[in-house]
Amino acid sequence: MTDSLTQRWMRPCTLVYGVLMGLTLITWAVGMLELQGLGVTFLVLGLALLKGHLIGDWFMGLRSVRGFWRWVIVFWLLLVGGLVGAAFWLSV
Amino acid sequence: MQYQSQSVAKLYFVAAIGLFVGQILFGLILGLQYVIGDFLFPAIPFNVARMVHTNLLIVWLLFGFMGAAYYLVPEEAERELFSPGLAKLLFWVFLIAGALTVLGYLLVPYSSLADLTGNDLLPTMGREFLEQPTITKLGIVVVALGFLFNIGMTILSGRKTVVNLVLLIGLVGLAVLFLFSFYNPDNLVNDKYYWWWVVHLWVEGVWELILGSILAFVLIKTTGVDREVIEKWLYVIIAMTLITGIVGTGHHYYWIGTPEYWQWWGSVFSAMEPIPFFMMTVFAFNMVNRRRRNHPNQAAVLWALGTAVMAFLGAGVWGFLHTLAPVNYYTHGSQITAAHGHMAFYGAYVMVVLTIISYAMPMMRGRQAANSNRSQVLEMWSFWLMTVSIVFITLFLTGAGILQVYLQRFSENPMPFMMVQEKISLFYWLREIAGLVFLVGLVLYVASFFVGSKDPEVAVEQAASPTA
Amino acid sequence: MRQLNPLERQGEALRYPPGDLAVWIFILAELSVFAIFFAAYAFTRMQHVALFDQYQATLDRTSALYNTLALITASYFVVRAVAAIRENRAAQSRNWLWAGVGMGLLFLVIKGAEYAHHFAEGVRLSTNTFYMFYLSLTFFHFMHVILGIIVLAVLAVRTGQGHYDAASHTDIESGASYWHMVDLVWLILFPLVYVMH
Repeated sequence: MTDSLTQRWMRPCTLVYGVLMGLTLITWAVGMLELQGLGVTFLVLGLALLKGHLIGDWFMGLRSVRGFWRWVIVFWLLLVGGLVGAAFWLSV
Repeated sequence: MQYQSQSVAKLYFVAAIGLFVGQILFGLILGLQYVIGDFLFPAIPFNVARMVHTNLLIVWLLFGFMGAAYYLVPEEAERELFSPGLAKLLFWVFLIAGALTVLGYLLVPYSSLADLTGNDLLPTMGREFLEQPTITKLGIVVVALGFLFNIGMTILSGRKTVVNLVLLIGLVGLAVLFLFSFYNPDNLVNDKYYWWWVVHLWVEGVWELILGSILAFVLIKTTGVDREVIEKWLYVIIAMTLITGIVGTGHHYYWIGTPEYWQWWGSVFSAMEPIPFFMMTVFAFNMVNRRRRNHPNQAAVLWALGTAVMAFLGAGVWGFLHTLAPVNYYTHGSQITAAHGHMAFYGAYVMVVLTIISYAMPMMRGRQAANSNRSQVLEMWSFWLMTVSIVFITLFLTGAGILQVYLQRFSENPMPFMMVQEKISLFYWLREIAGLVFLVGLVLYVASFFVGSKDPEVAVEQAASPTA
Repeated sequence: MRQLNPLERQGEALRYPPGDLAVWIFILAELSVFAIFFAAYAFTRMQHVALFDQYQATLDRTSALYNTLALITASYFVVRAVAAIRENRAAQSRNWLWAGVGMGLLFLVIKGAEYAHHFAEGVRLSTNTFYMFYLSLTFFHFMHVILGIIVLAVLAVRTGQGHYDAASHTDIESGASYWHMVDLVWLILFPLVYVMH
């Protein structure tokens, strides 16, 4: 029996969900441990961008789209990440 | 025209065009007074000419909106208007009250007008755009209530469409927000704060809903695109309008005694106000490109597309130019504001009223769907003349504004206001010339109603291919 | 009416994302507002690093954690709702949508408690620049959660009434995309405002 395409989308999404929960716990732990430094800041920012990318690709289903819309969330994340990253980097 | 009662709109449209002509004449007087200060003084001083110019604009646009509502609501609701008699009665009440108010402005000094109309009982006069005597304001409320009752009863007992509901929300909002014109606190900060609830939330809030629904109606009719598609766009556009426009009020709250956070709120949200206008442009062109037929009234389609483009440029781009707090710090109340005001009002509201007039008038005057070719050609000429000249008026005022801001506020040795006004007078002259061209366009526009009325109608092409 | 959904056309990527294009344009517009707000926060912080760090420490990170988990879970439930309707299981789809609504409401309760705490301590928009941003950003997002919940609830009711099936469910995809956007924005907002310093 072959899986339906919907199932083939759903199963990775469940995995993505687990990853998102795990990454969130990491971010929270970094906050609670009061870890400092630019490296930590960029780690947290990077995790946030990664989580955003997973949402866009899998939950929003942009993986199966081509052209402009395939990359629209990635563009947005890079824009936000770039601006925020630059501001934090400059403020050290 | 599918319903007999739609024809009451004709009265409103005729009055609107008449007042439009008046507005432009006063605009020309006013423009000349910028360079020849005592022109027509003391008969028509600058402040009176300005008041008449702006008040006529608002009143004729209101006539236009009401006419639009009387025309499109029955057709959308698929029933006759609740009471055509009431619509006619209110028309005369509004017209006479408006005429008396303008005569009051012109014939007696403003302070005497205030005394004469008992302003001290409930002081509401003396504020920009809300200069009307209190009794006129009360009259406006009565007319608005009667109008909303009439429209509301028609909509509620008929077919409910998104176009009608959005229009109704816009019109109710217009009436409710006008009530803040009666609130006139002594504290100047509070006064300005709530004054913008009328002025800003009208033109950057509820009026946009009216604009959106009128445009959607005309596009449904002229393109034959599925109503569902157009309604969806309308939803998205009004949602974005409200999100950006309501908090965007903050761009009027910089440094006037309001809390500092308005600089952020105002800047961020009003920077986004071009978005709904941009969506409107994309929407209009998309619908016309996907059209299922070529409507014989090409003039109306031209006005509709023109509205979408010019509203984006005037309200969106020219608004954005000076909306960010650090920019507005310098440009506040300069000719840049005037540039924005001219193109935004023309592009958004003048053009949408002319769109619905262009669409509806031929049918109310007994045509099947459109005017004769000659009439439409003339109307399109007037479209281009007026639109191009408003673009030039805007550019000249923008030039004047940039120079003014630099000389008066930015340079090493700032100059006094009046000296700067002399320095920028060349721009004012150019603006006045562009204004004369606008008048020519307007004359042609009026003439287009009388030209070729015996000629045959432009033929209805059925089911033209969308790529044509 | 609608063609097959993206995942049923194997190997052939679609031109447009799932849901209505108009909704996606709306999503882009909303994302732009948030992007500007995030950048404004970060660049303003440059001028007031000490102040931002000091008052960031007064925020309740654990509440924010629960809220993040609630939103991610809500998003996952919405994914399941879309999957269910694509396989024509309308009743399940409806249940998943209601579950999403429940998670959204949980977010509102937790965030509401946080606000109550701050307000009780006299924190206002004008207290300082950090709180101005904190309250503005989170409240603007809060309003989006409310709107998202309303959208999901309407979809749940309509799904229950049998308006959608495997062939026709663009509305659900549109609503789901909007909800994921609300989630996405919070995933940036949480580390930015609560953690990064």
